[in-house]
Amino acid sequence: MTEKTDTLIQRLAESSAPVRRLRAPWWRTIFWLGIAVPYVALVVYVVSPRSDLIAKMSNSQFVIEQIAALATGIAAAVAAFATTIPGFSRKFLLLPAFTLAVWLGSLGHGCVQDWIRLGPEGLSLRPDWFCFPSIVLVGAVPAIAMAVMVRRGAPLTPHLTAALGGLAAAGLGNFGLRFFHPQDASLMVLVWQFGTVFVLSALAGWAGRYFLSWRALIGGSHRPAVG
Amino acid sequence: MKSAQDGDGSAYVALLKDITPWVRQMLRHRRRFLQPQDIEDLVQDVLLSLHAVRATYDPKRPFLPWLAAIAGNRLADGARRYARRAANEVAVENLPVTFADEGAKMPMDAYGDPEALRHAIEALPPGQRQAVEMLKLRELSLKEAARESGMGVGALKVAVHRGIRALRKALSTNP
Repeated sequence: MTEKTDTLIQRLAESSAPVRRLRAPWWRTIFWLGIAVPYVALVVYVVSPRSDLIAKMSNSQFVIEQIAALATGIAAAVAAFATTIPGFSRKFLLLPAFTLAVWLGSLGHGCVQDWIRLGPEGLSLRPDWFCFPSIVLVGAVPAIAMAVMVRRGAPLTPHLTAALGGLAAAGLGNFGLRFFHPQDASLMVLVWQFGTVFVLSALAGWAGRYFLSWRALIGGSHRPAVG
Repeated sequence: MKSAQDGDGSAYVALLKDITPWVRQMLRHRRRFLQPQDIEDLVQDVLLSLHAVRATYDPKRPFLPWLAAIAGNRLADGARRYARRAANEVAVENLPVTFADEGAKMPMDAYGDPEALRHAIEALPPGQRQAVEMLKLRELSLKEAARESGMGVGALKVAVHRGIRALRKALSTNP
């Protein structure tokens, strides 16, 4: 049996072509943003930005929510890449947790402000089915790029990695969406947009084991035959 | 490991041979109940995994925590696989295959209320009833049943499928 392990070692050495080392999670995130951001900008440009965008840029609530959404996307991407490095520090997971808390907090603050300003009318909820397909559209290329990139790492935590990757793509998708979708009532944003981000992240997390697995990575080609 | 990443085969062999006893020892220590061949399987899994993700190693960082993370992950993966397999298997020492054994005499698929079953079959539409009687009760082959009934094989399959579904529904609503 140890003979078989020795045979395996010989086979692995024979197929040890030079490999390109993975860069640190920060660098990989910058590379991912290099693909994702131009695509998001292109979608915003093609769909055409909302007419009140200039005015919105001086609205602190809007700016904080957008920064929080973007920061969540970036932090989730860093954490997703970090989880594919064996021995990664769990501290990386605090990054998206923190930005997510800020994002949720800003939306919650917006809800309270709407309530104070408009009363119960400020918290009315209407269907807004535009959000889901739009976030999927804006987040599609970032999600594909993320999936390709995390597959180059180790599938140590498939569900967590995929959920973080989904959060990164959907967070960026929501960031782009708000540049062309004139929906600013905080409760609507919270339910329809943040809700969509949450659902997409959960779906990605569920699907993680289908595209991040040791079995797919290793196969059975190198293992010496039994007997 | 840095040399191995650059494609140096002999350095890679030396490294793998160096770490194999350490990995074996670690696995043995953490899974004392495993047989030697299971430990060796896990060692090979760890080596294969290390090989597959060798690009993730950063030479600026210590090697052992990187290796330990892979080994620990593969160990947990193996335990999950084992638990899944164990959950779907029933350990049986001797299968009851002879009539001397009580287990072999148990009619496993017998329905508890033959009278209700007879009524349910009678209540089926004629085509479905005929198909169920020929294929399930008299156990004719599809060809024989087709010859006898004059129905096509496809039509018989559909009729028996619908008939069984109707029976299941009727018997579950009238226990």
